[in-house]
Amino acid sequence: MKNIREVFIVDANRTPQAKSGMDLKDVPVPYLGVGLIRSMMFKTNIPYDAVDEVIIGNVGCPAKYPNISRVIALEAGLDKKTSGYTVNRNCASGLEAISQGFLKIASERSDIIFCGGVESMSQMPLIFGREMTDLFIMLMKAKSLKDKLAALATFRPKFLKPIVAIEQGLTDPFCNINMGQTAELLSQEFSISREEQDQYANNSHAKAVAAHKDGRFEDEIVPIIVGNKIDRILNRDIGPRSDSSVERLGQMKPYFDKKSGTVTVGNSCPITDGGSMLLLCSQEACERYNLKPIAKIIDYHFHGLGPEYMGVAPALAIYHLLKRTGQKLSDMDLIEINEAFAAQILALKKIIKDESLAKRFDIEAFGEIDETKFNVNGGGIALGHPVGSSGSRIVVTLAHELKRRSARYGLASLCIGGGQGGAIIIENLVR
Amino acid sequence: MVWANITFEVKNQVAYIGFGKYEEKSVVVLSKDTLTELNTALDELRSGQEYRELDGVIFFSHKKNCFIAGMDVNVISSLKSAEEASAGSAQGQEIFNKIEDLDLKTVALVDGTCMGGGFELALSCQYILCSDSNKTVFSLPEVQLGLIPGFGGTYRLPSRVSMADALDMILSGKQIRASKALKMGLVDEMYASARLMSMGQKFIKNPKQYLKLKKKNLKTTLTSLLQDNFLVKKIIFQKAREKVIKKTLGLFDAPLKILEVMEEGSGQGRASYLSLESKAFGELCLGDQSKNLRNLFFSIEKSKKFPGHASSYLNYPTQNPPKIKSSAILGAGTMGGGIAYLFADNNLNPLLKDINIEALELGLKQSSQIFYSSYKKKRLTRDEWERKQRSITPLLKYQGFNRADIVVEAIIENVEIKKSIFRDLENMVKSDCILCSNTSSLSITELASNLKNPERFLGLHFFNPVNKMPLIEIISHPKTSADTLERVYNLAVALKKFPVIVKDSPGFLVNRLLGPYITEMTYLLEEGVSVTDIDRASLDFGMPMGPCRLLDEIGIDVGFKVSDIFYKAFGDRFRKSDLADKILSLNLLGRKGGKGIYLYNEDGSESENEGEGVGNSAGTVDEKRSRDQSQSTQNTNNSSNSARADSSGSSGSSDDNTINPEIKEILPSKKTVFEPRIIQMRLLLPMINEAARVLEEGVVGDAASVDFGMIMGTGFPPYRGGPLKHADSEGLDKILQALKEFAENVSSSRYQPAPLLEQLVSSGKNFYNFNQSKA
Repeated sequence: MKNIREVFIVDANRTPQAKSGMDLKDVPVPYLGVGLIRSMMFKTNIPYDAVDEVIIGNVGCPAKYPNISRVIALEAGLDKKTSGYTVNRNCASGLEAISQGFLKIASERSDIIFCGGVESMSQMPLIFGREMTDLFIMLMKAKSLKDKLAALATFRPKFLKPIVAIEQGLTDPFCNINMGQTAELLSQEFSISREEQDQYANNSHAKAVAAHKDGRFEDEIVPIIVGNKIDRILNRDIGPRSDSSVERLGQMKPYFDKKSGTVTVGNSCPITDGGSMLLLCSQEACERYNLKPIAKIIDYHFHGLGPEYMGVAPALAIYHLLKRTGQKLSDMDLIEINEAFAAQILALKKIIKDESLAKRFDIEAFGEIDETKFNVNGGGIALGHPVGSSGSRIVVTLAHELKRRSARYGLASLCIGGGQGGAIIIENLVR
Repeated sequence: MVWANITFEVKNQVAYIGFGKYEEKSVVVLSKDTLTELNTALDELRSGQEYRELDGVIFFSHKKNCFIAGMDVNVISSLKSAEEASAGSAQGQEIFNKIEDLDLKTVALVDGTCMGGGFELALSCQYILCSDSNKTVFSLPEVQLGLIPGFGGTYRLPSRVSMADALDMILSGKQIRASKALKMGLVDEMYASARLMSMGQKFIKNPKQYLKLKKKNLKTTLTSLLQDNFLVKKIIFQKAREKVIKKTLGLFDAPLKILEVMEEGSGQGRASYLSLESKAFGELCLGDQSKNLRNLFFSIEKSKKFPGHASSYLNYPTQNPPKIKSSAILGAGTMGGGIAYLFADNNLNPLLKDINIEALELGLKQSSQIFYSSYKKKRLTRDEWERKQRSITPLLKYQGFNRADIVVEAIIENVEIKKSIFRDLENMVKSDCILCSNTSSLSITELASNLKNPERFLGLHFFNPVNKMPLIEIISHPKTSADTLERVYNLAVALKKFPVIVKDSPGFLVNRLLGPYITEMTYLLEEGVSVTDIDRASLDFGMPMGPCRLLDEIGIDVGFKVSDIFYKAFGDRFRKSDLADKILSLNLLGRKGGKGIYLYNEDGSESENEGEGVGNSAGTVDEKRSRDQSQSTQNTNNSSNSARADSSGSSGSSDDNTINPEIKEILPSKKTVFEPRIIQMRLLLPMINEAARVLEEGVVGDAASVDFGMIMGTGFPPYRGGPLKHADSEGLDKILQALKEFAENVSSSRYQPAPLLEQLVSSGKNFYNFNQSKA
């Protein structure tokens, strides 16, 4: 990129992630971000009124917090003049937040920005259907008793059947198929077997369990207070299974295509709660407040394709991003790709090394992923996929792992429901 | 007529009487002159031809957030005799009667505090309109000063709200917020604060039109219908009386007098009802209890301002030192968790550090439980609970300590560990961060000894449970700066606690005075007096709990550890009894461990509610009162006292199953039965004697501070004024005499009179004017 300022990642943290309905279920959504900002501010001497902006990715958009970013900023103790807004690019909302922070600092508009994502899939609501909503409106408008009775008379018991917001959100409105069905489609078109998928999922758990065991998440996770009585501390992910095995995964029934399918709950990511946050600063801000950045953002890219192929979109995003930066895939010391479905990862791996498959998506084959550099601490299948947060969560994990390895370049990418892919390259500065 | 205290003007056919225009303070109080002018204004309104055509009179305050906070307490304290007090009350009643009797519509516009005489004024208006401000509160707090509302409050409140509500308000003195007042029917309508005056002006032209907008509450209507019934009223009074006796053991005059007036007056006309009220006011006003409570009131008012450094070697005043806005706590135990609650509740966003997750969770549980109970009582919404509890940041490292304005250490009581921690902390915090230790027993001077900047270090002693105990001891050492002291003092006030500045010395103030009380208890046990008799005698004096129960609360391990420190520091008068050693060897912890002298249920509750037992056996009010009088005046009424001794003797020897059998095992086999008065003297004299020493040593500034600390820190019965006031009113010569007798018959070391006491008696002075002579 030319003629713009460098943008530094000063700090990057995340909450532990927990499967929906588990440990994080009672945590009000803003607090998945509040503790992260507080903790990062504690580690610096940045005055509370010096933060320009808070940009947060969120998909579920809890009714109580239409602009959750502003709530997070204020609850975290930032000054009231710090502006905040919420972005939604579905599964890549967290990455969208980073990209906006990046552009604002690069273009000299801002100096200090918190960006990240939060998602409580546990707290996604049940919704009354259209018919019930209409009935309520009629009731509200009714003035006389007669009108009210007339409105009530339209009631049918089926009106009470709730719509599960999360189910609706995971169905593509354009091609009207479920995200899991897009994975089934990939497994068919790119011949990915059930065994391959289960093997992949099992590996993801093994890597995540090992990462926890070795304390590799200790620096990136900020513990959070949980529980109905708000008196317990959660400091590790609830998701990775140490007792996972290919055999056990093999026993699970296909979920999306019950008869002939290969995609199971076991080889897909679970719906999850969690939050992640990065502190982005300009060179000037780093100097003014004596901040030691851990990494630098090189560039990012988003790319679209047919919604039913959303799972392989990272291939396109990465291809075009590498073109922008003039780098090769082999230049990357670490690669983090969010695991929505095992089938989706396996398919995109095939596409990027096979010229004829790549051609179908208007790209050229650009190499092979080195398994020793790929999702080394496990991915979404084990750690979970809190949709609004995953886009920034993978960058948090990437930055910490690069630092630990004293490696240089890292690539993070993810597929986005609706048929898009996003990718970002960062450079580690702690070498 | 030139108005110098109130404003009086007529505009647009409405007369306006305003208060507080000429007062400098933000609080509006009724003075004698205000009342006189009010009287004149009312007379003009009554007689002046030009006022005939008025729509009405509006009473309002010129001050934001305060309508009228009541009668000036100084005026009440200046009354010389019961007759004068009754007459004063009657005069006020007469003025308020004039408001009630005006031929014009009368409206009180209440925006802010509306208390005592101010509330009684509003009650005498035809209508009360109030603002929706959260500063708007109604109360008749007279009972808290040992008084009865004297300007017709007991007469008029029951005609506005139900008898049960009226009794509840008058007997407790509690504050009612605007929305509740509207629900109760106390006010006629509530408006936005900024629109109160303009709505009042519209209202007074046509009240009916505006009252129509208000929905009738069926429940209130039914309740008021029901409570008009003579029999129902009788039951209500009976219930109220039972409640009062249960709470005060019949020792506290004011609520009983209030009940008497309200019950007797309820069937009578205004004049006779009011004369009952003013007579009762006169009687209560000149009593010791009210005097003591008014002194306490003044002490509380005084305590809200930093009094300056306890020692004169530092220059004071400082220039408004910066407020403490952020905090950190070291150690997440019972105290750490409690302090975390307090700081979180007051928006200080505490960091809470401990060495492992389990310890941190204990602290979080502690604070969450307190928030939870407020939430249960609807004092807090779930969202507020969530926000406050989550404003606590649990930490295993010192992240963020660099941003804290104050760090409070509440870790294990070990000098060396504490000292090394403070040395580390010094390098982590910013230069103006205040460092405090919550130690209850270690020397603050010693802890400060190797700090680079000892001037910003002091002791900040919270009492357990932190949420309930109102006292904070602020302990200075010779190098504490005035600035540090003032900042911490202001913090304590902001936390809505009552601070007492104490010079560093073993046990500081409160624990040092509790020391002899508890020590003497173990000697009484050793002599064969029963646990029940000891605690009951203490309760009968008005203490919130007896010394045996208190030791369980403090923790037997902690209690005796502190007493060792006293013994080392002060010698023989703090020597532990042999029985204390035996108790200690049982390794009981007290309440926190499930058993101490008493047994406790798993949740820490008392295995049988002792208070209730006392309440049930209480008999009639008069019996209680006569007992109380016989104790406080020490005029032994033979018949009642011996009867009392018998009954308690029997209850003591009977097998009380709430007492720990392990304790019963080691108690002496011989049984001694003392009159409660003797037990009380045995327990209290050493406390008073020790208080004299504390005063003499200058541990606190004056006698009033000793008493303030004991009332706020131990629940010493407020109406007795504290140990030193109590001693003063008993007569120091009598106290000295009793000490000498006990020194001869019981123990020469423990009852050896303090030199100051002898000195005061020989010069004919008492504790309270000892300070004055010094100043």
